Amino acid sequence: MPKRKQNEDVADDEDATPRKIRNDRSARKKSQRTLQEPAGADDGSGNDDVEQDEEVAQRILEDDGGSEAEDDGDEIQLAEATPMADTPSKPGKLRGRPKGRRRERTPSPPPDLPPHELYFFQNRTGANKTSSNTLPSHVLLGHDDYSAQVVAYKDPHDADIKRLVQYHKRAFNQWMFELEEGFNLCFYGYGSKRALMVDFAEHVYAQTEGSKPKIVVVNGYTPGLTMKDVLTTFSDVVLPKNEKLPAQPAAILEAILSRLNEEQQIVPFILMVNSLDHANLRKPAAQAMFAQLAAHQSVSFLATCDTPNFPLLWDLGLARQFHFLYHDATTFQPYKAENDVVEEVNALLGRSGRRLAGKDGVAYVLKSLPENARSLFRILVAEQLAMADIESNATAEGVEYRALYHKAVEEFVCSSELNFRTLLKEFHDHQMIESRKDVAGTERLIVPFRREELEAILDELV
Amino acid sequence: MEYGKAYVFQPSDIRPAKRRRVDTQGLQASWRRRREAYTKAWQAQQRAIDERLSSINAATVSEVSAFLDEAISSPQSERIPTGVILAGYGVNSHSSIVSQLARRKSADEDGRQIYVTLTSAYGANLKALLKSLIQRALRRQTGLDDDEEDPPTATARRGPRLLNYDLQLLHDYVREHKLQQIVVAFEDTEAFDSDLLSELIEMLGCWHGRIPFAFLFNIATSIDFLQQRLARAAIKCLDGRLFDLAPAGEAVEAVFDALMSSGAPLWLGPSVMSILLERQGDYIQSIDGFVDAVRYAYMSAYYANASTQCLESSENLPDDHCEALRNLESFRAYAQQMLENKELLRLKDCLESNQSLAAVTSLRITEGQRKLNDMMSALSTLRKIQEVLPNMSVSPRSSLYVQAMSGKLHGSTLLRMLLLTIRKMPSHVTVRLLEAILAADSLDTYAQGVCRQLLGELNEILGSRNDPTQPLRSEDDVQNSTLRTTVVAQKVELSKHKAALSDQDKAYTQVLGRLSEVLESYFEETLVNPKDLPFHEVFVYDLKSPHREVFMPRPRHAIERALASPHDYLDCECCEPDRGERDEATLSATQPATAVLYQLYLESGSLINASDLWQAFQAVIGDERDESQTMAHFQRALAELKYLGFVKQTRKRVDHIAKVMWRGL
Repeated sequence: MPKRKQNEDVADDEDATPRKIRNDRSARKKSQRTLQEPAGADDGSGNDDVEQDEEVAQRILEDDGGSEAEDDGDEIQLAEATPMADTPSKPGKLRGRPKGRRRERTPSPPPDLPPHELYFFQNRTGANKTSSNTLPSHVLLGHDDYSAQVVAYKDPHDADIKRLVQYHKRAFNQWMFELEEGFNLCFYGYGSKRALMVDFAEHVYAQTEGSKPKIVVVNGYTPGLTMKDVLTTFSDVVLPKNEKLPAQPAAILEAILSRLNEEQQIVPFILMVNSLDHANLRKPAAQAMFAQLAAHQSVSFLATCDTPNFPLLWDLGLARQFHFLYHDATTFQPYKAENDVVEEVNALLGRSGRRLAGKDGVAYVLKSLPENARSLFRILVAEQLAMADIESNATAEGVEYRALYHKAVEEFVCSSELNFRTLLKEFHDHQMIESRKDVAGTERLIVPFRREELEAILDELV
Repeated sequence: MEYGKAYVFQPSDIRPAKRRRVDTQGLQASWRRRREAYTKAWQAQQRAIDERLSSINAATVSEVSAFLDEAISSPQSERIPTGVILAGYGVNSHSSIVSQLARRKSADEDGRQIYVTLTSAYGANLKALLKSLIQRALRRQTGLDDDEEDPPTATARRGPRLLNYDLQLLHDYVREHKLQQIVVAFEDTEAFDSDLLSELIEMLGCWHGRIPFAFLFNIATSIDFLQQRLARAAIKCLDGRLFDLAPAGEAVEAVFDALMSSGAPLWLGPSVMSILLERQGDYIQSIDGFVDAVRYAYMSAYYANASTQCLESSENLPDDHCEALRNLESFRAYAQQMLENKELLRLKDCLESNQSLAAVTSLRITEGQRKLNDMMSALSTLRKIQEVLPNMSVSPRSSLYVQAMSGKLHGSTLLRMLLLTIRKMPSHVTVRLLEAILAADSLDTYAQGVCRQLLGELNEILGSRNDPTQPLRSEDDVQNSTLRTTVVAQKVELSKHKAALSDQDKAYTQVLGRLSEVLESYFEETLVNPKDLPFHEVFVYDLKSPHREVFMPRPRHAIERALASPHDYLDCECCEPDRGERDEATLSATQPATAVLYQLYLESGSLINASDLWQAFQAVIGDERDESQTMAHFQRALAELKYLGFVKQTRKRVDHIAKVMWRGL
């Protein structure tokens, strides 16, 4: 299986993990050596391994040469090889690799760095030389394509994941015991734990004899979730039906707690919070409210946490109130409900404009807007392009709010600031613009598209 | 349901009958009985702990209570009587003090005094604090007389309706119920905003003439610091007195006292206990946290160890339980020992008959428990001796416990030093020591008898000596011998020269020798290694494993491990790392997409080019799949990394993402 062997060797070479002797015999060095002594290849030592290595080296050389041949001359100079690009790849697939790789120029990281050293190594000045390749817009999938792919895909690990979940399910009785003993539970680990929680709720429900517990489930990841939603739902089961709720969350909590204090509760209340550490609920006030609920003896509190550093949310007092026992509930299940994949990736890569289905969507919206709105958008796009031309660094992108307003007034698009605001609001509603504060605190307006798309939009508008 | 914000859970289908049967087989079948045993054992233990804990600060509590009573009986100035409780760290110690006070008061008085606890979380401004203060005060009271429907507004006051932060409400209430004192306890004084606290104090100070307030401040730092933070005007309103609480270490000692002397059926082993102590020392935990951890040890022992059923009763043991008992390591050692002693019949009986096994088990367990109890009383004897001896510090119960349970105390330097010191004691110390030992009555009957006899002999010797003011000295005491250096043939020779000792001294030395011998043999007998006791697995719980994860989770490590070597969790054949090559898992196309991307991420620098990342990802995983399928995986993996907080958006360069976490940091 020569091909397999090659893969391994390449992987070995390019993996940053060091090995004692093998480092010396990496394919890369071999290839250099082979270059230096072209004649030596034939009368090889007879060692199979060496011969094979040389063959690999030859292949790599060819491939490198091939990919470099495709490059434009200047790009090679610009681009440095990245540590990131040092990933195992199949020799046969090298065509797609970042262009202009120059291994000799990257000092490979010293072997076996402890984590903190690695941090400083990777953050040292001048360390970050990444290529300027860009991801072509069309490769990223939209919502429809993505969900089609996800539905079509069958995970080979399905059975393993099921078995993993089964392990957790075996602990259900233990968890119930812990809850009954007055502890609260917190689950962490990689993978969505929502389904596990639902199963656990079913289990608790089925196992409890007599009056069934009242279980309230909160999905902390739901966009726009507020403490008020949580407390209102919880008060539905705690407070009598006809009681009028106060408006403030703190007051609702107060009402709930006093109600819980008043009555000797026979039926236990269970509050399950999925993603307690989600950004929606990360405010100290929200956590303090949860802690107060959790600390009450007739409330059993279950929470799942996804981020790796969630214990930092709570100080000693809060942690004491939560009274948690922690369990590792790694499930490896996809964060389907928790995470809107397409949106998140677009936001991560700064392409939130794709939400509108690209520039066609913008054109569609603009068509339905009055003339002066279209003019305003044109001005904005033109200004943004002009700004991008002037300032090469991307730190201050977009157009200043004031500047845009003055421009708009000059061109008789609007007569007052109120007018201007109304027009902008329309854009905001369709998520055609974003507004950010820059370092100095001035508001900047940005059309979240890439340069080519902006130019296309401008063409259409003019 | 998964997209709803919050909802009340409704079961999808109810099949309780079917589910019930699933878990009532195997060793867990006896869980019900064990659970009862647990409840019984822990409740006794909890009572013992509570008793000890409340007695620690009993003195302080009664002092504070007397102070408050005095403030009622002789109201002197316009200043508010203030108790400043120096609690040190430990969040909950104070609230328990206040609740102890409240309990004490409600027990012996007619409720003319009410307690309101304020924490900084109740409000960030004066209005909110006043509101919750008033609400709490009124609610507390109505909880006791419980007739009125809507207490805060339905006070029998004519006139305009008051705002809910108006202290007039409280004033009316105080008048109506003829309250003599409203105690406001500030639970976390340091956490209040200083201006806010000053304002509140001044405000309440203004009302002090109408509402009889008293304050309790719980401070963790120092009184100077409190004074510095308060405005001068606020300080003028206060008439303070300082109370000290026992330090947190004492509370741990009290818990140990309870653990050691309550005669509980279950003991905690050295390794789990040292974890608990370490955690208590390293992170500032309140004592409740420590008690919880002990409780969890009890829970795990009874839940996960089927043989704990024998602690309650060994009758009607199911067959599989007996089989489990026979598989215990200590039982095997015990069987070996029986073999060596040629007790073949007994051994055969144990192996074949479940009934006789049960009998032997319960016998051995009782014996083991008795031995451990003896060991604990030996520890308290040891502490007694240390108390009496001059220049000897008393070892904390916790460290003695851990040492003894790990079987290291016997033959330790601590014990040797102790016995050596005993041999050198002057006679007045010996008398005190013997009296203390006899009074404590913790030795076994033989040693007790010897001690009594020795005391008699000693008294005789003491009566017969010439100079009653001078205590008798032991021969072994260095003070009685002098070292002489002589030079003989150019060598220095050291020679001990004993001072002339009277006959009484010699007799006394003999007494001391016998005393130390008797103590030595006593300690040798009682300080057993718990690991040597048969069936120690049943009554000594010593597992580190659930405790560390349950109380000190390492979520970041768990996630990093899941992503870096998914095989550890999934245990699948496809992703198994090559053995022998190296320990760390290798990147492979079969791994979950997020794991692959995470490993690529680990290799990259602090800024990552998304396009290159995609290429690399495709190279690893996209062998047999079409591009859009691979892209779907890539997007999902990238989104998950972002969701977990490993990457974030960056504006520095186009199509780049920023690395946020370094593995293992």
